[in-house]
Amino acid sequence: MSNTFKNLAETAQKILETRSNNAKVAICARYFKSLDSDKDLNRAAQFLGEGAFSSISGERAVIGSRTYSTCAAEFCEINYEKVFKPSKTALGSSSEAIEKLMHNIDAARKKRSPAELTLAEVETIYKAISEVSSRADKQQILRDAWKQMTPLEIKYFIRIMTRGSLRIGFESRSVVSAIAQAFGKKVKDVRYAHMITGSIGRTAVLCKNDRLDEAIFKLFHPLSFMLASPIESRAIENIGEYIAEEKFDGMRCQMHISGNKVELYSRDLNDITHSFPEIVNFFAERNLPDLVLDGEVCVYKNDEILPFQLLQKRMGRKKPSSKIMDKFPVLFIAYDVLFYDDEPIFEKSLTERRKILKKLAEQFNLPISNQFEISDEDSVEELFERALAHGNEGLMLKKKDSTYEYGQRRKSWLKVKKPGGTLDTVMMYAHAGSGKRGGYYSDFTLGIRVAEDERYEEEFIPIGKAYGGYTDEEMKRMNKRIKDLTVEKYGPTLGLIPELVIELEFDDIQINKRTKANYTLRLPRFKSIRWDLGPDDTDTLQDVERMYQEKINRKRLKQDENPSFYFEND
Amino acid sequence: MINIKKAGYHGILLSDYSIGFDFSTPDAQHIFISHAHADHMPYKSKEPVYCTENTFKLMQKRGYRDEANLLSFGETVQLPKAQVTLFPAGHILGSAMVYVETNEGSVLYTGDYRTPPSPASEGFEYPKQVDHLITEATFSLPVYKWAPYDELIEEVQQFAIQTLDEGYTPVFLAYNLGKAQEVMNMLAPTELPLQIHGAGFKLCEVYEEAGIELGNYETYNRLTCEGKVLITTNSAINNGFASNVKKKKLAYCSGWAARESSRAQLTVHKLIPLSDHLDFFELINLCKKLNPKKVHITHTPNASVVQHYLDELNIDSRFLDLEAETDD
Repeated sequence: MSNTFKNLAETAQKILETRSNNAKVAICARYFKSLDSDKDLNRAAQFLGEGAFSSISGERAVIGSRTYSTCAAEFCEINYEKVFKPSKTALGSSSEAIEKLMHNIDAARKKRSPAELTLAEVETIYKAISEVSSRADKQQILRDAWKQMTPLEIKYFIRIMTRGSLRIGFESRSVVSAIAQAFGKKVKDVRYAHMITGSIGRTAVLCKNDRLDEAIFKLFHPLSFMLASPIESRAIENIGEYIAEEKFDGMRCQMHISGNKVELYSRDLNDITHSFPEIVNFFAERNLPDLVLDGEVCVYKNDEILPFQLLQKRMGRKKPSSKIMDKFPVLFIAYDVLFYDDEPIFEKSLTERRKILKKLAEQFNLPISNQFEISDEDSVEELFERALAHGNEGLMLKKKDSTYEYGQRRKSWLKVKKPGGTLDTVMMYAHAGSGKRGGYYSDFTLGIRVAEDERYEEEFIPIGKAYGGYTDEEMKRMNKRIKDLTVEKYGPTLGLIPELVIELEFDDIQINKRTKANYTLRLPRFKSIRWDLGPDDTDTLQDVERMYQEKINRKRLKQDENPSFYFEND
Repeated sequence: MINIKKAGYHGILLSDYSIGFDFSTPDAQHIFISHAHADHMPYKSKEPVYCTENTFKLMQKRGYRDEANLLSFGETVQLPKAQVTLFPAGHILGSAMVYVETNEGSVLYTGDYRTPPSPASEGFEYPKQVDHLITEATFSLPVYKWAPYDELIEEVQQFAIQTLDEGYTPVFLAYNLGKAQEVMNMLAPTELPLQIHGAGFKLCEVYEEAGIELGNYETYNRLTCEGKVLITTNSAINNGFASNVKKKKLAYCSGWAARESSRAQLTVHKLIPLSDHLDFFELINLCKKLNPKKVHITHTPNASVVQHYLDELNIDSRFLDLEAETDD
């Protein structure tokens, strides 16, 4: 029976147990080929590549880890707090703990009689979960489903349902390769179809039936953004192959335009049109041809690009008031064009796309980024300093002959950024890691000093959580130290004596009223572990406040000479 | 009332009887060593320690320089206020549980143990009446349950045979005392040529003298190891062991291999959950059978889980924290 869920779970497990990526792809390709019906192929590709529902369907089986974990504990007749939680912590994964408990515990074994559910039946179960809202209803569905599954099926059933990674070292890119291999098509064509359809299941079916050419780009269906790699992570052979643009301190945005219909999409492909009516009006009034633009939304006032922190006041608002709009006026600055003259133009080079964008900007008076030729590191340095002076984040270097690599992060686009700053913080809590870091404490809550701050009773308060920037060796050394510093244990979290000082690097500081400190750090990560410092050496909340104010009040170079974008005002 | 305290590095002291387990100290006159793993054996001792002959031989090969009083399993040694008997612990060759009988009751110190026992050990037996059970609980969570031994043998043999068939060299990552010899014993029927890392090789002699079949083996030789079954430790594989053999596949043999995360942490091809400790279910089962007055739990971050199950059996218990507890 090739169309059973058990077969899919066993295939996933086999992929996990295989090390070479080519061999993983081959196993998955063989599996796809073994499925007779298109519908089952659709389900299998979707389950392995995307989760319970296709990402564009908008459907979700919303179910929290507590809901399925307490349900599993009850199913196995074990105490959730006293037995399930430590089991999960030891393995670093709830779904793996559930798999093992379902296998090991007699009470659970007795309830289960595997029924070889088909992929279609499992799809129906996911649908049923998405249609109920109470925890009790969801748990009832889970119980009924688990009774008919093996422990391995249950593990993957949960991982697919929660849309997390399947943790088999096989992400959707590899699923695309497997589809291509199964049906003898080019990976590039399958990836294109996936990007256009937004559904990996449908892509597999089109691929199998020789109908990939039916996957046509449609306006008002956002496509995945092309992403940039940090310049530090890539070796550049010839910098002259790149052009530079300033990296705006705003929000990435894709705009689809047809007549006076305009829609804006965020990087996670959500429709954010309603938050920015003045941008919609601006483009709707211009009698533009059908277009898709890639660019940035920025707060722009008195010839200055204002900090991202102010743009936050506009984000997430369904209908901004005129007062807010006056105070924080926004502008869309385009830097790429993806659809023009009734066809997608991702395959054209950046130089060609730029020519089209420039022509459009002149004809319709649109703001577009300024591009600068670069010849050597000195010219990059100079441009970088000017970008910072403009209040921008740094530079984007883009390869002139590159196509628009939707959904990918490669070296065609590079970002040159200056870290927002660093703080010396103290480690307050350690959290058990998961996945590869299972069995270690790998996520940490870091605090700043408020001992002399009258507003607080505490000595330290949390400022951020970081889980990267250290080596495996350093993690092990920290774990040794943490053992000695532990004073409390709350499930997978340890409360620590504040001793260990971490120099934390971050991209930005933002106000966040829901936190104790009133501030959060954007992308906090370890810069170094300061074994040489003690808790009295850490920075204070006042330091954070000062850094934030400096950022907001920093003098910004006006957009007059050598601007970061241009725009001929009427 | 018998006082049971932590003492030394991972050791335990019965202060009223001057009896110590698994450490060396002038505070106790009578020191019993359960087995020859580094966290249990001393490297020197003013007084001769008590242990089995096999444990003594293994300790000597690992650097112990002083004397020992050798005890056979079941043989009783009479001390001024107590009598002590060793029981086979099933963990590694020579491993013993120490049974102390006094006027105030009896104590069974398990050391590390496994039931069902490792075939590369002297088996597993326990006394009928125990008041205080001092037990290790390394794998004390219900996510740990070991597969039947026949299945594990099959897994070990199949990994070796299939890997060789594919043109790769199979490498078993197994601790050099106990686990390494157990894997060799499992592979012996295949008669495949085998090489073992030097630190483990020198211990094999003791196993052979004890009549444990280890198969067709020799010491590791970088120049000739390709195409043979190799046995080594995690640390050796990271320090150049067989680094000249490009086509090799690794299998990690440990109770910790039950955790999926060890696959990525050690970058191995195969996880074989072969432990030399008993699993959670055997532990609870043994407590149930012995029904002691009190269980003292050591060697685990999850004593509270064991205690939760013992509470349900109405067995009194406590966590004897060998890691963090200081003298009390």
